[in-house]
Amino acid sequence: MIDRELKKGSAELLILSLLEARPRHGYDLSKLIEQRSEGALHFHVASLYPLLYRLEERGWIRGRWVEKAGQRRRRYYRLTTRGRVVLAAQRRGWRTFVEAINRVAGVEHA
Amino acid sequence: MHDWKPEIRRRLAEAKVAPAREEEIVEELAQHLEDHYQELRAGGANEPEAYAATLAEMQDHELLVRELRRTAVPPPVIPGTGRTSMIADIGQDARYGMRMLARNPGFAAVAVLTLALSIGATTAIFSVVYGVLLRPLPYPKPEQIISVAERAADGHPMNFTDPNFDDLRASNHSLVALAEYDVNGVSTVVDNTGPARVGVAFVSQDFFRAMGVGPVLGRGFSPDEMHEGAAPAALVSYGYWRERLGAARDLSRFKLKMGEYVFSVVGVLPPGYSFPAGTALWFPRELLEHLPSRTAHNWHVLGRVRDGVTLAQARSDLSVIARRLKQQFGDDIDMTDVDATPLRERLTGDVRPALLILLGAVGFLLLVGCANVANLELARAAARERELAVRAALGADRGRLVRQFLTESLLLSLAGGVLGVVAARWGVSGLIALAPPNLPRLTNVSVNLPVLFFALAVSILVASGLGVLTALRATSTDPQRALAEDSGGHAVSPSSQRLGRILVASQLAITLMLLTGAGLLGRSLLHVLSIDPGFRTVGIMTIELELPASGGTGYPSCCSASPAGRAQAAGFVDKLFERLHTIPGVQEVGGSSDLPLAGDLSNGTFLLLDRQSSITTLDDFERLMHAVPTGEADYDVASEGFFTALGIPLLRGRLFDAHDTADAPHVAVINESLARATWPNQDPVGKTIEFGNMDGDVRLLTVVGVVGDVRDRSLERPPEPTVYVNYRQRLRPGGDFTVVMRASVPPASMLSAVRKIVRELDPDAVPHLRAFEQVFSASLETRRFNLMLIGVFAGAALLLAAVGIYGVMAYWVARRRREIGVRMALGAVPGDVLRLVLGHSSWTIAAGLLLGLAGSLALTRTMKSLLFDVSAADPVTFAGVALLLAGVALLACYIPARRAMKVDPMVALRYE
Repeated sequence: MIDRELKKGSAELLILSLLEARPRHGYDLSKLIEQRSEGALHFHVASLYPLLYRLEERGWIRGRWVEKAGQRRRRYYRLTTRGRVVLAAQRRGWRTFVEAINRVAGVEHA
Repeated sequence: MHDWKPEIRRRLAEAKVAPAREEEIVEELAQHLEDHYQELRAGGANEPEAYAATLAEMQDHELLVRELRRTAVPPPVIPGTGRTSMIADIGQDARYGMRMLARNPGFAAVAVLTLALSIGATTAIFSVVYGVLLRPLPYPKPEQIISVAERAADGHPMNFTDPNFDDLRASNHSLVALAEYDVNGVSTVVDNTGPARVGVAFVSQDFFRAMGVGPVLGRGFSPDEMHEGAAPAALVSYGYWRERLGAARDLSRFKLKMGEYVFSVVGVLPPGYSFPAGTALWFPRELLEHLPSRTAHNWHVLGRVRDGVTLAQARSDLSVIARRLKQQFGDDIDMTDVDATPLRERLTGDVRPALLILLGAVGFLLLVGCANVANLELARAAARERELAVRAALGADRGRLVRQFLTESLLLSLAGGVLGVVAARWGVSGLIALAPPNLPRLTNVSVNLPVLFFALAVSILVASGLGVLTALRATSTDPQRALAEDSGGHAVSPSSQRLGRILVASQLAITLMLLTGAGLLGRSLLHVLSIDPGFRTVGIMTIELELPASGGTGYPSCCSASPAGRAQAAGFVDKLFERLHTIPGVQEVGGSSDLPLAGDLSNGTFLLLDRQSSITTLDDFERLMHAVPTGEADYDVASEGFFTALGIPLLRGRLFDAHDTADAPHVAVINESLARATWPNQDPVGKTIEFGNMDGDVRLLTVVGVVGDVRDRSLERPPEPTVYVNYRQRLRPGGDFTVVMRASVPPASMLSAVRKIVRELDPDAVPHLRAFEQVFSASLETRRFNLMLIGVFAGAALLLAAVGIYGVMAYWVARRRREIGVRMALGAVPGDVLRLVLGHSSWTIAAGLLLGLAGSLALTRTMKSLLFDVSAADPVTFAGVALLLAGVALLACYIPARRAMKVDPMVALRYE
């Protein structure tokens, strides 16, 4: 089971990564997280949106309403330039962190 | 299709975001929920199931509300990840720190309060130290004003004699002004409003030039007012002018009567000017006689150094002159050199050591408080190790983390500092109210700008200390280990524990030093209180007044009272005694020119003369001083009732009586010390002495009785040899006189009767009535004040140290639950656990005690001047406080130890 706090810490990284390729709306993001983590990660509405708003406020992502023919309008989020820089930094940090975990965990299981 | 919006709105209502923004959020979330719902339906869920599952997405909506509410506040940034400027980093650190503290309000409150108390106490004491010792005198170029004193052969400073002053004034090249003045003169002055006791000072011609002040209204003394016999002129203080002269611009209509002088008011000095302290009226010193003697030390002297001349240069200039005078006059001069010190130091020299010791003590309290906060921070840092490890893993560099800690500490200590300043304001008013009367310049004490700077500096210093300590401690942890340890449930490193114990040991050490200081002062006070002063204090009322003057002034122009004046004064006293006796309950009435513990007896040299060699003039006295045996004694004019009322025992001979009239042979009663010093192994009764230099009457004094010794100047000072003369024969008109009354009723009940009698006999009298016990306890006030402050600091430190060691041990026990459980499962009994816990803490306590004892030995020497009859290394005090501290510390450990003894092995083992 993924620890709640760990999840919170990594959530930013997940969202920034998912927005790297193209803009997405909130529901899309939550589906992708759930699918790609094979159900291990699930964000409630109540935890996903505050995160999005926070990232937006920090200027790392930017939301915009988009209307498509035959659909109601949705708010799509895209990564900003600053967001890309942050994403790169967080990826590096995360890698170190995970390696650290692995080393420790590996020793324990050996 | 459902309308989710009402559900969402209901849940968001508390967030109170702007309506437009709320509408957007509602729309976005509704869209999300609808998507989710549709998907569930498509996946085969029935309508109620899908509906319920969708709404479940909104569980924890409090989180959403909280986040939305916070959108006004910028979001938390994990320090070290963004590429932002340093200033922005600091802002982020501050905001982040604020939130970290808000998340842990208990910690923040305890830390801020501890710091507030410590910083507040330190600031309050510093206010006093600054106001009294450091603040420049409120005169132009105050550093140029110096106090000059003659130095005796044994190095003691003495007042100036007139001829020495004249020579110094005429021959120096380094001063622009040198002036004589007297201090502590309080006199009854009758002005248009009536009689009043006011502070008066006689000052010589350059006095105001030296001080750098001049009248704001009217003029200074003119040359024709500055000689003996001139028309008396007075300068008045601004306060006196406003209160008693009605702030009138025309000064010519005011006449001030003092003794037999009538002064014209010629000028008003600036607002706030009152030097010598408490003076309301200044008179030309030149009105009083100029004594040719180079051993009559009557005057204080101050001067102003020329621009560009240093204190050292002035000192050596004056010193050269003084030493030349010594060579020139040999035995006729007792000055060997002069001392010149800045006036500010001279005024505060007596209280300097005590104030500095208090400042040191409160500084120790601050250290103890900081150690407590540091311990709290360490515990919190341990709890935060994972957070830090994650941050470090995410790329935050160590410097950035240290800065984060510094910022948090700064927030804490600034909050503590602000509260502390508020507390200090109260503290300062309390200190002023409690301060002993001999603390000079007290009106200068306030929480002013320099004091605020001091508080800020202390706060920043504390913050840096705490921040660096905890940051280095916390960030030196290896992130890997921190994260790994987490799985085992132990999030604290042994070195963090060690640091905590070092802090506690230091706390104990410092507390011990404070306790030792308090203990030594306490024992000194006990010793002083156990002294037999030689007189009774209970049930005695004192009436200080000024005798009516005729044929002389109340001023130290000695030697000039006419026999008629003396007789009149004695008659006044007789009548006063007689009337006071009629008050119901009064048992004994007496009086003397000086009340024990309240004033300063004059003292001088007397000659041992027999009846055949009696003298007729004071010149003969001077001549004989080097030719016949002499003695030194205090000199007091008293009545027989003075001894009986105060319970001073008659050891030999008799007291004065009504037969000792002015025309009868003059008599003296001496005290035991004088009898022993002057006539060892002989009966002093019947011997004669010549003490005419004290009052100008050269008739021989015959010793008629010997009384017990009295501690006259203070309880601490051993009794001085004393000569008492009879008020019927030697009373000085216009002089101070204190009546003492022993009564079977409380002094307070006699006040109005006494006042009425005194007024009837002398309408101009302003009697000062006090219970003698008040006088007695006032003489101990300084000692009590110092003891109280150091005692309070020591008590506070003890409490903080107890809390500190309790915290560390409680934490240690909590972390050893498992170990203790295992031990108990393996058969350990509660006693073993108790031994384990106390054994663990006893090393810390022992280290603290040893360190504290060593520190005390080193530091208590500095407070020698405040001690009485107690060695600075008093073993009783040292052992006592060490035992006390050890006891309190063990008690503080016992609580967690008991908790450890109650550990249930099964629960503890299952705990993880």
